[in-house]
Amino acid sequence: MTAAIQLQKIGYAYGREPVLNAISISIARGDYFIIIGPNGSGKTTLLKLAAGIIRTTGGDVRIQGRSIGRFSRRHLARAIAYVPQLIRTDFPFTVMEVVLMGRSPHLGMLGFEQPRDIALAREAMGFTGVDHLAHRKLNALSGGECQRVFIARAICQESEIMLLDEPTASLDLAHQVRVMDLMEQLRIEKGITVVMVSHDVNLAAMYGNRILLLNKGRIAGMGTPRQVITYQTLEAVYGCKVLVDLSPLGDFPRVTLVPSRYIPAG
Amino acid sequence: MTAPLHATLKRLWIVSAVLLVFFVLTMLAGLCAGSSDTGVRRVISVLVGGEAADPMLATIIWRIRLPRVLLAAMVGAALSMGGLVFQALLRNPLAEPYILGISGGAAIGAIIGILMGFARFPGVGLMAFVGSMATLALLLLMTSGRSVLKKDSLLLSGVMVNAFCSALIMFLVSITQDARLHNIIFWLMGDMGMTDLRQAGFLALILAPCFVLFFWLSNAMNLLTMGSETALAIGINVKAVSLVLLTATSLMISAAVSHSGLIGFVGLVMPHLLRLVLGPDHRVLVPASILGGGGYMVLCDLLARTLPRQGEMPAGVVTALIGAPLFIYLLKRTKS
Amino acid sequence: MTGKAQQRIGRRFFVILMVLGGALALILAPDSARGVRSVTDFLGRRVVIPDEPRRVVALAPSITEIVYALEQESRLAGVTRFSDYPAAATRLPKVGSYVHLDLERIVALRPDLCIAVKDGNPKVVIDRLMQLNIPVFAVNPTNLETVIQAVEHIGRLLNTEQKAALIAADMRARIEHVRQQVAEVERRPRVFFQIGLAPIVSVGSATFIHELIETAGGENVARGDVPYPRFSREQVIGLAPDVIIITSMARSAIFERVKAEWARWKHMPAARNNRIIVQESNLFDRPSPRLVQGLELLVKLIHPQLFGGSP
Repeated sequence: MTAAIQLQKIGYAYGREPVLNAISISIARGDYFIIIGPNGSGKTTLLKLAAGIIRTTGGDVRIQGRSIGRFSRRHLARAIAYVPQLIRTDFPFTVMEVVLMGRSPHLGMLGFEQPRDIALAREAMGFTGVDHLAHRKLNALSGGECQRVFIARAICQESEIMLLDEPTASLDLAHQVRVMDLMEQLRIEKGITVVMVSHDVNLAAMYGNRILLLNKGRIAGMGTPRQVITYQTLEAVYGCKVLVDLSPLGDFPRVTLVPSRYIPAG
Repeated sequence: MTAPLHATLKRLWIVSAVLLVFFVLTMLAGLCAGSSDTGVRRVISVLVGGEAADPMLATIIWRIRLPRVLLAAMVGAALSMGGLVFQALLRNPLAEPYILGISGGAAIGAIIGILMGFARFPGVGLMAFVGSMATLALLLLMTSGRSVLKKDSLLLSGVMVNAFCSALIMFLVSITQDARLHNIIFWLMGDMGMTDLRQAGFLALILAPCFVLFFWLSNAMNLLTMGSETALAIGINVKAVSLVLLTATSLMISAAVSHSGLIGFVGLVMPHLLRLVLGPDHRVLVPASILGGGGYMVLCDLLARTLPRQGEMPAGVVTALIGAPLFIYLLKRTKS
Repeated sequence: MTGKAQQRIGRRFFVILMVLGGALALILAPDSARGVRSVTDFLGRRVVIPDEPRRVVALAPSITEIVYALEQESRLAGVTRFSDYPAAATRLPKVGSYVHLDLERIVALRPDLCIAVKDGNPKVVIDRLMQLNIPVFAVNPTNLETVIQAVEHIGRLLNTEQKAALIAADMRARIEHVRQQVAEVERRPRVFFQIGLAPIVSVGSATFIHELIETAGGENVARGDVPYPRFSREQVIGLAPDVIIITSMARSAIFERVKAEWARWKHMPAARNNRIIVQESNLFDRPSPRLVQGLELLVKLIHPQLFGGSP
């Protein structure tokens, strides 16, 4: 079956600094693909390349078998929904207006919304628990609430692939689980492919069916959580002591950070 | 369930209707007022009765006041639209149409035209237009294609170009000694008094397609304000749209400024005020800016003509006197 | 045929002849028989004006003065803002200032003729007036001789050629008298004529004042191509003028201060001999008959010894 996203030998550099080097990945349809790695490893850059927001310096990005360059912006937006890290805006759009922006790829140039679009937006806001904020201005919300609004917007895009950049970064515990569950639900109910960058290794282990571990722009590990998340790999990549065992909840690893007082001297 | 809380199209019709009434009323007021002190009733009788009623007044209304009122409306609409588009393009609600140095270039072109002895129209107007377009080209060269997406570099380059143009203008003014100095000062302060229907029609030909284009791109402008990455991700070709918006806006503002001189504060205050009242959706703001900005300028020009006991004030003075305190008030409202 | 019948036919024939003759005369007559005539103004434009202009708008203060001098003020319908001479002119309706004319006010006065000055009135206004079918006659006085010609032309426009000729002759005679007076003076004093206070501005060769100074037997130290050259104080002191004449529209208190400023530089001839003079400006820069008055005044200021004063 055609991979949802296929990256072949892609690379990227900011000026002269190479950020990614000849990465080749294949993401299957319906995957819950989670990218982890230390800061500066190139996670966000990789996601942006997959979303078509920046162009690779070499190699090829394929979406559902087609080279990304052959998509028009509109069609790409219908295929991929991208949720960026937190952005601030000075324009007083309401939550409802922001979520409805997700319908743009499906509407004409002027894009006047129909009742169906509004119903979809309400449903999406219900999913992420922001429907009670529909009339509030975006710049009056907390970081976490904003993030859920952006996720609702991405859901509205009705695309088969969702790319999220650290979606749980500003969320409290309840909402972290809720968002991760939501992605799982979308995967199962609608067959959506989820590609996520996460800083939380445990969440990645709990939910992902495939993990990609990046280090300094190269692949340090790719496979199932049990394959990738081992204490040797983590210690080598992150440079700190960790304890990895099996979670009591299921067949996935659990990572515990080890404070220095537990490390025997010598 | 109650009526959909987001009926943009319905809101658009209502807002447009209200502002259209405002616009028409200001146009009528503009036709009624003037330095020859004719009463409102006499004006209405001419408007209704035709030329036979009072040929001298009919001449004044149709051939002196009407072109002026039309020009004011179009310049006000163009400047408001320019401010609106630049605010979306630069993602900054404080941007205004002269921010990228277009006004500086237009002024230099106009001054050179006046010094060379050209007539107001088409000579000086054409020179102003060439000057502003040259400034735009310079700006694009300085920032280079890719960085058009990076709003900060565009903004900073614009500020630099403006500063340079200001210095050049001061130099040109300082070396001019004769009656042409008077013409230059009046052009710089905004003067719509000497226009006729032909010139007004010419401007309308340039502005109309620009307005249509901006309305067509109003949804894209909404998305642009969310950041170029978000806009890209939701399907907007940010680079192409930005370039089109930049060029069309510069064209529109240059054309307006070539006819009227430099009139400030309209492009800053009007979009801000409308956004505060009507919300940030550009599909509503674009027609609102055209009608609201046009009506506002007609009012300011009316005041400029009628307030002073002797002669008239430059329109730019009125827009500044009203605009500056209004803008400070708006800033306070948005902060709270 | 009877005698009476012959008489009747004769009378009828006579009437028909008269009517035909009259019609012929009307057809063949020039425009003037129909109330308008065509003239050429100082810019070479052909303008169609009424035979008897009754509502004239003077588009510059100098024109207003000329019309009053020709005693045709009854024809005036409007003047510009600074038409302050004679005093009666200030009561006439105003049409803006001569550099910033008010189109609406001019049209509202229903003029049948406007008289403009080439240097000063903006061309765009003249064009607009022509567009609105209001005839505009432009004069272009650049020196004493063309001012006299302007008076003669305007006299023709307003059907008062005799009065115009009188004024012209008087002006020419007085100018000639001045020329004879100064022909006997040996030395031409150096004159610095200051028209701007800050910055210091004087007059170049292309101005009325320059011609007046030279005709009055003085030497304009600021002569040159630049019509209104600027000077620094050192430059003026370096030019060593014998006389400094200051005109401006500022108030008298400022004048005294300016005079004192110059008086400090004792090695400058004008200061040493106390020849720093302050004067009203309208006599020197308005292209009207009073320009000759300005000339005569200048002679007194530059050559006081001709009138019993000390040089």
